[in-house]
Amino acid sequence: MTVPVRAASAAGRSARPAFVGRVTSSPADAAVWSRRQAILTELRAVRGRAYPRVRAALREKSWVLFEILLPFLATSAFVFVYRALQAPPEYVGFVVLGGAMTAFWLNVVWMMAAQLYWERDQGNLELYFAAPMNLMSVLFGMAVGGLFMSSTRAVIVLAIATYVYGVTFSVSEWALLLAVFVLTLAALYGLGMILASLFLMWGREAWQLTQALMEPVYFVSGLNFPVVRLGLLGALAVATIPLAVGLDAMRQLAFGGAGPTSGLLPPGLEALVLVAMTVVFLSLARFFLATLEQRARREGRLTVRWR
Amino acid sequence: MTAAWRSFSAAARIGWAVDANWTDPFVFLALVVAKPLSAALILVVMVQVISGGNAGPLIAFVVVGSGLWSMVTAGIAGLPLSVLDDRERYRMLKYLYVSPADFLLVLLGRGVGRILVGAVGSVVTLAVGIVVLGIPFDPGRIDWPLFVWGAGWGFVMVVALSVVLAAVCLQVRQEAWSYPEAAAGALFLVTGAVFPLGVLPGPLQALGLITPLTWWIAAVRTALFPGSPSSIGGEGSLFASLAGHVVPTSAELAIALLATGAVGTLASVVVFRLSERRAKDRGLIDQTTGS
Repeated sequence: MTVPVRAASAAGRSARPAFVGRVTSSPADAAVWSRRQAILTELRAVRGRAYPRVRAALREKSWVLFEILLPFLATSAFVFVYRALQAPPEYVGFVVLGGAMTAFWLNVVWMMAAQLYWERDQGNLELYFAAPMNLMSVLFGMAVGGLFMSSTRAVIVLAIATYVYGVTFSVSEWALLLAVFVLTLAALYGLGMILASLFLMWGREAWQLTQALMEPVYFVSGLNFPVVRLGLLGALAVATIPLAVGLDAMRQLAFGGAGPTSGLLPPGLEALVLVAMTVVFLSLARFFLATLEQRARREGRLTVRWR
Repeated sequence: MTAAWRSFSAAARIGWAVDANWTDPFVFLALVVAKPLSAALILVVMVQVISGGNAGPLIAFVVVGSGLWSMVTAGIAGLPLSVLDDRERYRMLKYLYVSPADFLLVLLGRGVGRILVGAVGSVVTLAVGIVVLGIPFDPGRIDWPLFVWGAGWGFVMVVALSVVLAAVCLQVRQEAWSYPEAAAGALFLVTGAVFPLGVLPGPLQALGLITPLTWWIAAVRTALFPGSPSSIGGEGSLFASLAGHVVPTSAELAIALLATGAVGTLASVVVFRLSERRAKDRGLIDQTTGS
C-alpha cells in the first residue's frame, strides 16, 4: 500500500506521513485513535471553547460595567426594599447571596442554554458537529469559560455588597458550604446543558424562553426570601431547580440556620438532592444531546438559520 | 414624511414578525406576562414576609411600581437587541445602514413592538394586582390629564433609553444581549419604583431626581392611585428639603417630567449619533463577534 507523504524538501529532510502527525499506514489506520488521543482531543476542545470567553472578558472592558457594577446596583435595589420595610438584617444577607448566585443562573441561561441556538445562527454549529470531538466537550468548555466570567461577577458583588451593607455571615460548616456551592454549580451547568440541547430544536422563541427562565425562576427559587415561605411551590422548586435548593442550603449554612434563615430541608439533605440533580442532569444532557441531534439531523434543523 | 413613515412602519412590521409570529398569540401572551408577573410576585412575597400579612398600601405601591417597571425592562431592550440581532445573527445591519432610510428611524421601528409588548405586561400586572391581590382601585378617581401626560412621556423616555443602549451595543461585542437587563436593574435602584427614594443616601436621591423615569413612575402612580405613598417625597427626603413640602403636587410632577424628559430625549439622540459616527469610523457596523 502506498503511504501518502508530504513532499520532502530539497535539503533532504525525511518525508513525514500526512496523517495527523503520527506514522500510519493508511487513512483507516489514522482513524483509529488511542484512548489517550481521544481524551487529549476532548480536552483541547474544552480549552478551545473556553478560550474565547476568557479572552473576550479580558478584551471587552465594558462587561465590568454591565455585568458587575450594574448588577450590583440591581441587587442593592432589593436591599433597600428590605431597609424600607425595616426588615431584620439577615434578609439583607439573603439578597446579597441571591444577587451573587444570579450571576451563575444568568450565565447558564444566556451563555449555555441559548448558546447552541446562536451558534447555529452564526454558522458555527455545523463545524462543531463536523469536528472529531464530543459536543459535550463544547458545552463543558462553554461552562468553564462562563464560570470564569460569572465567578468574577459573583465574588465582586458578594464582596462589595457585604462591605457596603454590613452583612454578617455566621458559618460553622465551611466544608459543607463549599461542597453545596460546588454541587449547585455542577447541577446548574448540567441543567444548562439540557436546556442547550432543547434550544437546538427551537427557533426565535429562544429569546422569549430565556426571559421566561429569569424572573419566574427567581420567584419560585426564593431568590430574595426564604423559599419555605412559598409552601408547596417552594418544595417543588427545591426538588427541581438547582438554584432553589442551592440557595436554601447556602442560606442556612451562611447565616446560622435559625429563625428567618431556617430552610425547607437540612443542608446536608439538600446537598444530597444536589448530588442527585447533578447526576440526573448530566445524564439527561448526554441523552438529550444525542437524541435531539439525531432528530435535528432528520428534520434538517442543524444548519437552518434564522427561523 | 411619507418616506420616513414607510421606513418606520416597514421596520415595525418586521420587528413584530421577528418577535411574535413564531407561535400562537396565547403562548406569546403567556410568555410576555410571565416575567412582569413574577417580578411583582417576588416583591409582594418580600413585603408579606416582613409585614406578616399586614402590608396595607405597600402592596399597591410595589405592584404598581413593578408593573410599570416591566415596561421599562421590556421596552429598553427593543433597539439594542435589534442592533445585535441584525448585526450578529441576521448579518443585515450593514445593508440597513446603507439603505436610503434613516438608520435611527429603522431601529425605532424594529424596537417599538417590544415597548408595546412591555406595556401589555404592565397592564396585565396591574390588572392581576387589582383583581387577584385586591388592591383598592377606583376608576372614578383617576387623574386623567396627569395619567395621559405621564404615560406619554413614559413611552418617550423608554424609547430614549433604548436609543442610548443601542448606541452602546453598536460599540460592543455579541454578549451585550444581557446589557439592557443590567441597565434596567441598575435604574431600578434610583427611580423609586418599589421603595421610596427617601431611604437612599443623599447623592443617590439626587441622581433619582434627575432621572425622568422617577417622575414618570410617580406621576402615573399618583394619577391612578391618588393618595398612595409618594415614591419621591416623604419626611427627611431630599425632595422635601428642596421643595419645602413632603409630597410633590401633580403640577410639579408634570413639570419635572417635562424638563427631565426633554433633556433625556435630546441627550439620547446626541449619544446615538456620536456612537454611529464612531462605529462607522472603526468599521463596527458589520463586525460580528461571538464568544
